Amino acid sequence: MNNLYKLLRKPATTLFGVAQSMPKRFYAAPPKRFYKKTSVLYNDGKYEVTLDSRKLKTPNGTLFTVKSEPLAIAVATEFDAQKEHIERSKMHLSALCFTALDNPNRHTKTDMVNYILNYIATDTILFQYDDEKELHDLQRTEWDPIIQWFNERYGTNLEKTMVMSPPNVSADDKAKVSKYLLSHSEDVLFGFIYAVDTLKSVLLAFAAIDQRLSVDKAAALSRLEEEYQAKFWGRVEWAHDLSQQELQARLAASVLFVHLNRSEHFVKEKLIV
Amino acid sequence: MAATKTLRSLLQELRSASPKGCIKNSLAARYILAQYKKYSTTDLQLCKARDEALFLGQTYLTYLSSLRKYNELYKDYHGRGERSVKETADLVGFKLPTDPK
Repeated sequence: MNNLYKLLRKPATTLFGVAQSMPKRFYAAPPKRFYKKTSVLYNDGKYEVTLDSRKLKTPNGTLFTVKSEPLAIAVATEFDAQKEHIERSKMHLSALCFTALDNPNRHTKTDMVNYILNYIATDTILFQYDDEKELHDLQRTEWDPIIQWFNERYGTNLEKTMVMSPPNVSADDKAKVSKYLLSHSEDVLFGFIYAVDTLKSVLLAFAAIDQRLSVDKAAALSRLEEEYQAKFWGRVEWAHDLSQQELQARLAASVLFVHLNRSEHFVKEKLIV
Repeated sequence: MAATKTLRSLLQELRSASPKGCIKNSLAARYILAQYKKYSTTDLQLCKARDEALFLGQTYLTYLSSLRKYNELYKDYHGRGERSVKETADLVGFKLPTDPK
């Protein structure tokens, strides 16, 4: 009986113990770096990453494999750059590869293309604002050439809007963009979606991927109004600079991912027997 | 010229990203150097776009340097929980009763 009483009492005291130290928040601790050296393996036409003698696996448990050598090297370098802990939230390139391999939301190719097509109507650079002359001049000189370039490159007829109602995206425009997107493989589309989500703009994402804009410039154009307002209201390092660096890193990761996964990088050499 | 500059900054970033600060055995450094030599005359090989190798190099450079700057800012500013009485006193220029006058 005495034992039973002890058993019952024990959880209650630990419960109080937790309640007293409530102000401390519990986050999942990042895993410790358990390897010394990272390397790349070539196996069965695909590249794998090794951490010491173990093979890298995705969060879902499947083996990590990519078709392109530079991508595998970049992922291995990223794992090697981790200091004491593996900080997965700051490994954008690896995260993108993992997402493409695992496909956690079970997206099909059509889902992804439709997502990008529906994004065009809410594209950042198609919404301009003419109440403030200086800002509008900036938008006209910086954003309009990109809209024009996109229309020429993809044969579309997109127009900017100056009011709240979304710009008109015709079925013909959508068909042209979707034809271009569908010519890519599924994993490349993950890169496109990542770029669009980071920049909040389809046009800027396409311009960055097509080498029309450098990554820093595309990021700057996406943050055009924020930069403009910061000129008057001040710039704080821990908000503006932090978000700028993160945006640039994420965009660079997606541009690299798209380029390295496109077929033009896989050179097949003839075997000399 | 631009390519050499990018190469130098890339190696610099790789060095600062590696935990030991040494890229002698780094796969990435070796790969980048090989690419640099391969395309040193022109990168209009293999039906690629103009300056594609340079563009990719610069993109990777942006990736590494932005991540480094992000980590530096994060380290400076992220919350470390509640400040101690001593830290708070130092912040506003007060002294603790135990400190000498």
